[in-house]
Amino acid sequence: MVSKHRNETIRKRHRFEEKTGWEDINDPVRDRASHKLRALIASAIVFVISLFYLDHIYQIQIDDHDLYTTRAEDNRIRVRPIEPIRGNILDRNGTILAESFDTFDIVAKKEKIVSEKNFILNAKKVFKFQKPEVDRLREEFKNKKLKEITLQKNTTMEEFTKLSVDQYLLPEMELIVKSNRRYVFPESTSHVLGYTGKLSESDYNSTVEIKEGMTSVGKIGVERFYQNLLSGSPGFEKLETNANNEIIRVLEKKSATRGSDVYLTIDYRLQNYTYELLKGQRGSIIVMNPHNGDILSFVSYPGYDINLFARGISSKDYKKLLQDKANPLFNRALIGQYPPGSTIKPFFGIVALEDGIIDKSKVFACTGAYKLENYKRPFKCWKKDGHMDVNLSSAVASSCDVFFYRLAEVSGIDMIHEKLQKFGFGEKTYIDLYGEKEGLLPSREWKNQSRQAAWYPGETLNVGIGQGYFLATPLQLANATSLLASGGSSVTPHLFLRSIDRINNEVSNFNYSDNKNEIEIDTESLHVVNEAMWRVIYDKNIGTASHIKKIDSLEFAGKTGTAQVYNLDKGKTGNKSLQDHALFISFAPFESPEIVVSVIVDNGGSGSAVAAPIARDIINFYFENIKSQVAMQ
Amino acid sequence: MRYSTSEFSGISSILKIDLKLFAIVMIIVFLGMITLFSVSSGDSSLMLKQGIRILIGLVAMILLAQIHPDNFKLFSPALYFGGIFLLVMTIFFGVGKSADRWLDLYFLRFQPSELMKIFVPLMIASFYSDKSLPPKFKNLVVAAFIIVVPAFLIAKQPDLGTAILITTSGIIAIFLSGIRLVHIFLGLAFVIGAIPFLWSLMYDYQKSRILSFFSPDQDVLGSGYHLVQSKIALGSGGLFGKGYMNGTQSKLDFLPENHTDFIFSAFGEEFGFIGVLLLITLYVLATFRGMSISIKATDNFSRILSGTLILTIFLYVLVNIGMVIGILPIVGAPLPFMSYGGTSMLTVFAALGIIMSIKSHQRLMRK
Repeated sequence: MVSKHRNETIRKRHRFEEKTGWEDINDPVRDRASHKLRALIASAIVFVISLFYLDHIYQIQIDDHDLYTTRAEDNRIRVRPIEPIRGNILDRNGTILAESFDTFDIVAKKEKIVSEKNFILNAKKVFKFQKPEVDRLREEFKNKKLKEITLQKNTTMEEFTKLSVDQYLLPEMELIVKSNRRYVFPESTSHVLGYTGKLSESDYNSTVEIKEGMTSVGKIGVERFYQNLLSGSPGFEKLETNANNEIIRVLEKKSATRGSDVYLTIDYRLQNYTYELLKGQRGSIIVMNPHNGDILSFVSYPGYDINLFARGISSKDYKKLLQDKANPLFNRALIGQYPPGSTIKPFFGIVALEDGIIDKSKVFACTGAYKLENYKRPFKCWKKDGHMDVNLSSAVASSCDVFFYRLAEVSGIDMIHEKLQKFGFGEKTYIDLYGEKEGLLPSREWKNQSRQAAWYPGETLNVGIGQGYFLATPLQLANATSLLASGGSSVTPHLFLRSIDRINNEVSNFNYSDNKNEIEIDTESLHVVNEAMWRVIYDKNIGTASHIKKIDSLEFAGKTGTAQVYNLDKGKTGNKSLQDHALFISFAPFESPEIVVSVIVDNGGSGSAVAAPIARDIINFYFENIKSQVAMQ
Repeated sequence: MRYSTSEFSGISSILKIDLKLFAIVMIIVFLGMITLFSVSSGDSSLMLKQGIRILIGLVAMILLAQIHPDNFKLFSPALYFGGIFLLVMTIFFGVGKSADRWLDLYFLRFQPSELMKIFVPLMIASFYSDKSLPPKFKNLVVAAFIIVVPAFLIAKQPDLGTAILITTSGIIAIFLSGIRLVHIFLGLAFVIGAIPFLWSLMYDYQKSRILSFFSPDQDVLGSGYHLVQSKIALGSGGLFGKGYMNGTQSKLDFLPENHTDFIFSAFGEEFGFIGVLLLITLYVLATFRGMSISIKATDNFSRILSGTLILTIFLYVLVNIGMVIGILPIVGAPLPFMSYGGTSMLTVFAALGIIMSIKSHQRLMRK
């Protein structure tokens, strides 16, 4: 009981104490000690956390210093390439064919324009803008993505000088310089020069050297082949920019190096003249110097406006070019492969003489057709009634097919294939342009591989007159002809004459001494064939081109060719695409040749009627207007 | 307790200022000013504004240092409930850009949440000052309410960062009051249990901030951009820094908020790890000095209040630096005594004033 009462008392007291907080009255000493302990714990925590922080900061500032330094530099430094000025392309006399020039886009940064209304008002005054342009400006103001307003694109320096008189009205105007390419004779030189275009993925896997900062590159033609010479080296500006991409200052600057000027062997007057001669036709013309390989004229007709490409061709224009039936984008001179037809006869004649298969007086009788064993149908001569008795000279002059059928049969395909190689048939000429085709000088082996079939004797006969499987490019024909004209000195045809480094005016000339490779041609045989080619034009009785008007001042030699496109329907349907190709190879003057001219008119009809007069006109033009200058060089 | 004569002499004694604490803080203020000068590229108007704020802060500090701690205790309920009232007002009448944190009284525009940074510790210290320590569970619950009510109102503004900071400073106060170990664990368990609930209450941008903290590099131009640029600034500073006025990250504006929340990174970029070491040492020394004042204080109220205030200031330092170096999420907390901005400067100087008042109004204790 006592204890119960006592417990009760204690409980009461507890309750009282709880209520009054008597025990809550603090014990100062204990509180102070307790607080001190906790304050020290807190201080220790402060210290430890600080160390932890410092360790973390140490990692950022010391361990990862290099990483963050790089990232800080990446943040602030922009490298802006400076496009080099592309070298000009000039003809052999220094006439500019392709040039670089700067244009300006006149723009105004939106952030600098205070009042849109006043800006448009003043722009109307300065640029004489009409409603459509003003509407365009308004659109550009509305377009939130655009940071600047384009006032006028592709402004030349002269135009801008005129405009800058009113610059006070539009202080916001800024210029963006753009390098442009302009072709002076855009169509006639199209297949020689090619064009430049925006750098694309495929350019990286080519022989072209792509330098950091380049945006455009030669795509085709001379622009492509001499890209590394023409392009120069881009420079750069190292800029410090802030977070808003505003330029604070230029840290470093390296100017671009101008590209070299390239002089071509082309004579622009001859080039334009030959180009015009093919007007209304399709075809190609090569004029070259047989002694050194200079290409004086290189034409594939029709050409196309390469300025369209330089400016960035619209898909509409490009589609138009692709769909053009005349196929203007096709470089006939370089990659067109034609049956050489009768133009092969002089070459075949020479190798036959050299091989002793015939001599120059050997006579065959042409009855208008040649009968080959096991062949039902005879091989016809172009002249129904035949040429009667012909030797090599008259067979070339009259282009007798039967003579060469016989010659081919006797020679055999193996001899023809082997010997004609020395004139470059079936092989690239290695002119300084990309994409050249090698034609086709057929052989047993070739037929076996590509057709899985044996060679038939009749096919040899067709090859003997430059038909059948035989294919040659216009360039190959010109190249082979130059061997006849030079008497066997083989030269690689080339367009490059010299380049001039505009930085130090250093001239690099074409290395002519390396461009000579004598091949053996029997002089006697050559003489026979060349004379026969003279007879083509001057032998009034049998020369296939003897009807054409002659040149007064000089004589020239040549050979006509009419390459059959289809055996059927020869010209009867009136469908021009089925007509024969007209060919003519020639050199002039006959006594001491200076130029070689090869002409092919696609589906033009007969070589004597169509191609020969063209060659004659070219020769005439050359010796009347150009020769004097060439002689001087 | 003995007082040396030197501490009772001179102008610091008349102004009731603790010279050591004051000196440390003024060095930090000086470092803040020169960093501000650099990042603003010598913008004198910015310097002038900040100078005026520092002066106002100093005046507030000195004025508060004159007031006897007993008066703080006396007025603490009034201040606390007044602050709560203002927070409620802010919810209804507040203004601000993204969140309504400001109260516009026409003659005065301020953030009531900033006041609570001082009033909450004050209220808890005051509440515990005449209770038995360590606090009983009942008193812990009361203290929890003292903290949670303003924290909830601030989180509602929404200003999650400040809410968390105020909660934390309240917890510091409870810790200093001598909470039992078992209660600490109970509290921890409660907080962990509350996290999913709190997450569901958060706004999307608050969530994204916290998420961006965990993978800042994935969203370089978004909220993580700040942190990435801050680390680049610090890291490119290296051991000795890029040199005064040579910071590229801060001067070219890659470092955002380079004169407010990210001033530490701007400082670290120019002065390097050496500078950072000095700065953090100064903050730690200031805290130690404050803790020393707290230990020497003669009553529970003064001890809890001064300790809580100095630790709260240090907490802000930790939160700010933690966020610019990527230890903590970017919550938008200024660096005490350095960041450009008026409210924060005034608050920390006011807290400093209260600590100095406690230091200079100590009673002689019988031993």
